[in-house]
Amino acid sequence: MNTPTNGKEHDSQYNHFGKLASEQTTVREATDAPSSRTLRAKERYFVTKSSASIEYPYWYTRTWEALEGEIPIIRRAEAMKSAFSHITPVVYPGELIAMSKANYLRGSFPMPWLSEAYFMAAEGEMYQEALQAGKVSADTVTTMGQGGGNVTKSMGKVLSIAGKFGLRSEEMPMLVKIAKKWHNKSVDDVGHKYEQMVPGYDTKEEIMRSVICMFDSGYTLPQGREVMNYYYPLQYGIDGIIDMCKEGIEETAGYPDMDRLYFYKAIMLMLEGIQTWIRNYAEEYKEIATYCTEEQEKEEYLDLAERLLWLSSKPPRSFFDAVQLTWIFHIAVLNEDAISGLSPGRLGQVLYPYWKSDMDKGIISRELSLEWLENMRMKFTQIDCFASMGVVGGVLSGNTFNNLCVGGLDKEGNSAANELEALILKAGMTCDTPQPTLSLLFDEKSPEDFLLKGVECTKVGTGYPAWINNQVAMEFLMTNYVEEGMTIEEARAWAIGGCLETSACSWMPLEYEDMTHYIPGGSAPATSVGVHFISLPKILETVLSRGIDKRTGQRVYEDHHFILDSYESVWKAFKKYFRETVKVLTLTNNIQHDAWRKITPSLVNSMLKPDCLTKGKDIGQQGSRYNRTFNVEICGGVNLANALASLKKNVFEDKNFSLKELREALDANFGYKTAQETGSYSLIDQQKSENFLTYLKIHKLCMDAPKYGNDDPMVDGIFKEWQEWFADMCSDYTSLYDKALYPCQISVSTHAPMGAVTLATPDGRLAGTTFVDGSVSAYPGTDNNGPYALFNSATCYNHALSQNSQLNMKIHPSVVQGREGAKKFLEMIKAYLRQGAFHAQFNVVDSRMLKDAQENPDEYRGLMVRVAGFTQYWVELGKQIQDEVIARTEYQEIG
Amino acid sequence: MDYTHKDCKHFLAVDVFKGICKRDQDNILADDSSCDRFDLLERCKYCKNYKATQEQLGLCMDTVDAYPDMIAKTCNDFQWRSHQA
Repeated sequence: MNTPTNGKEHDSQYNHFGKLASEQTTVREATDAPSSRTLRAKERYFVTKSSASIEYPYWYTRTWEALEGEIPIIRRAEAMKSAFSHITPVVYPGELIAMSKANYLRGSFPMPWLSEAYFMAAEGEMYQEALQAGKVSADTVTTMGQGGGNVTKSMGKVLSIAGKFGLRSEEMPMLVKIAKKWHNKSVDDVGHKYEQMVPGYDTKEEIMRSVICMFDSGYTLPQGREVMNYYYPLQYGIDGIIDMCKEGIEETAGYPDMDRLYFYKAIMLMLEGIQTWIRNYAEEYKEIATYCTEEQEKEEYLDLAERLLWLSSKPPRSFFDAVQLTWIFHIAVLNEDAISGLSPGRLGQVLYPYWKSDMDKGIISRELSLEWLENMRMKFTQIDCFASMGVVGGVLSGNTFNNLCVGGLDKEGNSAANELEALILKAGMTCDTPQPTLSLLFDEKSPEDFLLKGVECTKVGTGYPAWINNQVAMEFLMTNYVEEGMTIEEARAWAIGGCLETSACSWMPLEYEDMTHYIPGGSAPATSVGVHFISLPKILETVLSRGIDKRTGQRVYEDHHFILDSYESVWKAFKKYFRETVKVLTLTNNIQHDAWRKITPSLVNSMLKPDCLTKGKDIGQQGSRYNRTFNVEICGGVNLANALASLKKNVFEDKNFSLKELREALDANFGYKTAQETGSYSLIDQQKSENFLTYLKIHKLCMDAPKYGNDDPMVDGIFKEWQEWFADMCSDYTSLYDKALYPCQISVSTHAPMGAVTLATPDGRLAGTTFVDGSVSAYPGTDNNGPYALFNSATCYNHALSQNSQLNMKIHPSVVQGREGAKKFLEMIKAYLRQGAFHAQFNVVDSRMLKDAQENPDEYRGLMVRVAGFTQYWVELGKQIQDEVIARTEYQEIG
Repeated sequence: MDYTHKDCKHFLAVDVFKGICKRDQDNILADDSSCDRFDLLERCKYCKNYKATQEQLGLCMDTVDAYPDMIAKTCNDFQWRSHQA
């Protein structure tokens, strides 16, 4: 929707935030068009549906079955080798970068060795078992986007799975057969068998059924939210790594710690599969070339065939080779597990030696580089992650979070921003697609012109780059990884994994053309594994109901036995329930992850991550350099602070009403219809019921209670107390690697389904409506004192205590127009980050456009919005999230 | 037998509904009838090693579960049945 603005003048009306925009919708600023090749790829993508196939799971399972009794990691490697070797190559016209995850443009596939029940028929025994165990509860309260590439309904010979993926009906009988083969053998099922031995397991099931916790991590998305490391293939090529494995085998065969022998052998087998996969593609390119009538096109295909054949053995010789090889290993990792948030990290710095060399030699131009980077964006955007509806819809909103970072510092502490990264930002504008999303690592040493390029990209409405405080992230890493040897120098290599997870990285010495270049890359496994998304408002609800989930009537926790006659008693009861939740989920998830590392150990990612190859250990055996990556994720923190502030003021200080009266009002949804009844999930547009007047006074007092986001010391003090207690308590729990957990605060999309199951809250929020997005965003419409008051609230605590914080703001396009608008915008961002904030991201959009898009989705196929750590096509978002984005406060003045 | 585009070796699948003809790059629907320039794509059901056991399911080499519509282009053991070679 990047069409030129008509430059309409504002009228003279004012609201809290300054001038009101004109009554007509203001469109976003225009950007340059992509190349015609990119445009064709984009047009093709827009009409392509998410498609699943069972090639990979078929061959994986077939080989797995044949090798019963083999050493588990070898069995896994042989299964992966077989699966990679049998992927049907697909070559789409005009693509500069070859290879796809599966045999469709937006192809993906189920991985029943992780979990098999969720894609089975809902009425079937296996799905019902999963439902009973609370594993798929989030599915039942999630809304999927109804447009774009989602296959929301079965039609003709295509079946809809998880409300998103299309599967050819002729493949379904075999998928069912494969799924049954994994019943009681998958990570999910094996983990479930043993997690039931954890004391308090029954509470865990109730926590899952009530959607106090969104999902288990061990079998849903066991990897991801981490940064790729492309060093080994770039430095050694695949043959070189195989040679390293051969040496490893010679050194370990017959000696103690024999697991290293099997590890090296497994890596070799897996790489052989990848080599066949690449060579199959090369053959396909040669075949496609025979169809060509135009010589230039034929030459392009033959060049690609030659490149693939070379890269199937050798390290890259050029920028294009390097781009291709990084892409191959990126999707290779994605094919070894169900993964979201596999970030390319600081790819512009990884590729820079190749790009600079080719530019200096005159082999490539900026124009050609830009076209390649656009093509790379299209390839990343085509990535789909096959997962359950609760995961792919309720958490991911269909996104895959391949976060590419620009900026930051180099090994010596100087700005790392480079010209290729400037082109990456430009490609993000000319080819505005959700992937890879971009993050700009702001440091005081970042050049001003580079920052302005970043803000030019943000302000045209792409939602990226997100703005990240480099120093806050480094402080977090130094605090949490120092015991594993983290240094300031190494901390500088960091990048975002997933949407917003600070991830430990390392500098690797890339030798290229007789020079050593220290390139950054991930050196820790998946973050955001552990305790995944605890709903804070829902826990508060159970505090007030003494352990009962009021929606289902089921008891979740034993009575806390606190007499709730003071604010302190409520706070103590909340902490008790929260601790109980973290404890049981940590233990059960540790068991699931233990099952994961035993049944489906990571091979591709382990091969890539330093120092697995050196140690001869996979990432499940702590082969990585850094291993403290398990965390506790929460959702609805600002709603919690607002609710506690209202309780404190209205019930215990001013005694405006009793706790009993408040509970009655909450049960009655303050006299409003529920969000499920109205079909609207934001606070605005709610409908009153007939007993509205009964609760009017209480509701008004709740709404008028101090709200976070206004620089109010009372509610901000509550928020700060929560943050500091949360950061401290996480370290009382340890991962299966015996490392302490730490806090993580991103909502992704969980604020929608988690809000959907939560009653009205004491802050005045109505039942079923969406929680606040992010972690330090204000509740829509309650931040009345302008952006700088919001910044003061947001930075009332030390952001380096947590793996992240997340602030979403919606800015009217008229505010940031032109060069002056960009500068003003940048100054505002800097002011926030300089207060110690970790992150801010922006939707530069007129809310009226979003409302129109909700009514006329077909006219907005390309419209993107920023949700919470990711940009997504509007039409592929569920209505819960759409309503929430529309309702966000729209700033019309930022100066 | 009535063949559809998706049974043709010149069919490039874009998604589960449609694809592109590799010959002329036309957009085509997977389940539409094939054209007169049709060439059969390698699938398990056309392989000597495949034996049907029930609808949409069968065996490969008499031992391993298989299904008829599996694309067998990358299978080293694929052999055309004589009447389809």
